[in-house]
Parts: sequence; structure tokens; C-alpha cells
Amino acid sequence: MWFLLMLVMFLTNGMSAFGLKMIAAWGLPETVKYPYLATWYAGGLAAIALPMLLKGMRVGKTELFWGAVAGALSVGGQVAMAVALGSGLPGHVVFPIAIGGSIVVVALAGRLVFGERMNRHTVVGVALGSIAVVLLGVS
Amino acid sequence: MGLLFCFLGAISFGLLGSALKAAERKKANAAGLIVSMYAWPALIMLVRSLLLKSGGHIPGKVWATAVILGIGAAVASLAFQVSISIGKVTVGWLMMNLSSGVAVVASIYVYHEKLTLLKIVAFGLVVVSILFLCWGQVMERRTVSAATQGE
Repeated sequence: MWFLLMLVMFLTNGMSAFGLKMIAAWGLPETVKYPYLATWYAGGLAAIALPMLLKGMRVGKTELFWGAVAGALSVGGQVAMAVALGSGLPGHVVFPIAIGGSIVVVALAGRLVFGERMNRHTVVGVALGSIAVVLLGVS
Repeated sequence: MGLLFCFLGAISFGLLGSALKAAERKKANAAGLIVSMYAWPALIMLVRSLLLKSGGHIPGKVWATAVILGIGAAVASLAFQVSISIGKVTVGWLMMNLSSGVAVVASIYVYHEKLTLLKIVAFGLVVVSILFLCWGQVMERRTVSAATQGE
């Protein structure tokens, strides 16, 4: 189950970020990205919400609260990156710091807040993966 | 100033991953959480789109791409949320970020972007990292199953 989830996550999330690149390549105006992103989020929302509605499931207060927190942090991160890029810092500096740094924050929270212990193989995998993410951002 | 915002971005995204783990610990329903998480930005982007002055024609391929890739992203978010109830949040978060390699491969294939030495090294590290992460998961399962049998 875990391996399947990782595979699905790797492929679907990887392709989902490719859309903005496609729009840029089509030579459409910069403002198209807002309706694009509105549709992008709405499409994702509908894909999960419709099966939930058909099963008679509801979104509770816990989900609403943590969803709002996650949404705010996501928007906050995007705005911070946009300001950093707008200040003249190149993308190959901004993306590795923002993405590589987020992995460090999650790893620290995983260990210190959630008490997750990793075996040696996982530690090596996380270390190599973090370097890979930074290199992908630089390249 | 720009660097400060880079680090703020890192902290914000890092806290996002941590908040999703906290939600999982609070027994939040994974699907419900993703619906709530997508509803807020959808609303913000809708308002932002409606406030745009230039209402030029947007080709159908843009809508189609947005819907297909948006569904893909939601499936990825759901898979991440379910995975952190089984495995480690650090591994899940790393896998989400390693997936940017897929977009880089697609760019090379579709737009014939140059395959530099740096990209080759990065792809190599992605593969080795995933192998180690899977190996770590297998070892952990063996440890848990050995402990269960010993009881």
C-alpha cells in the first residue's frame, strides 16, 4: 500500500506542476495563470468532493480548520517565493532554499514534534533526496 | 531582503507539511481535509480572476490542462495524506518534492530542454534516494513484524 501511494504521489504531483510551464510555452498572457489556477484547484476539489458527496460523507470542523491552516500556509509560501523572485533573486537560488528548507523543517517537526524515528537507510535516502531536490531547483 | 523571504517560504511550506501531519494526528478525514485545503485557494484564485480587467479569450486547451492536472494534484495530496498515516511525514514530504524531477523530465522530452550534467546527477540521486527510502520502509516492516512475532 505504502509503495503504491508513493508511486501515485510521485507521478501525479510531478506532472501537476508542469501546467504553468505549458502555458508559458503557449505564449499566453501572464494573467491567464489566475483563471488557470482557479480551474486547477476547482478540478482537484471536484475530484475529491464528488465521490465524498456520493458516499454521503461530510467535511467536519477538524478538516475545515486544518484545511484552512494548510491553505493559508500554502498561499503564504507562494507569496514569500513570489516576493523573493520579485526582489531580483534568481530562481536557481529561491527554489532550492524554499523547497530544500521546507524538507529540513518537516524533518525537524517529524522528529521533535511527532516523535518519528528513522532507520539508517531512511536517513541516507532523506539526505540524498534533499540534495537531489536542491540540485533539481538549481538546474 | 529577498533571502529573508526565501527562508520565510521554506518555513511556510515546512509548516504546511507539519500541519498536515498534525491534522492526521487529530484524526482528520484525509479526503475532507484535501477538499477544505483546495477550497480556499480555489476561492481566492476565482476572486482574483474575476477582478482581472482583461477578459481575453482563453483557449480550451488551457481549461482542459487545468482540470486534468488539478485532478492529478488532488490525487497526489490525498495519497500524501493517507501515506503519512502509514509511514513517515518526512519521507512523504520528500517524495512530493522529489516528484519535481518528473516535470524536469517532461520538459526535456516535450520542449527539448538541454540535459545538463547537473540534471543527470540530480536524476541519479533521485533514483538512489527512492531506493534507500523503499529499503528503509522494508527494513522497518521487518523490525515491526519481528517485534510482533517475539511478543
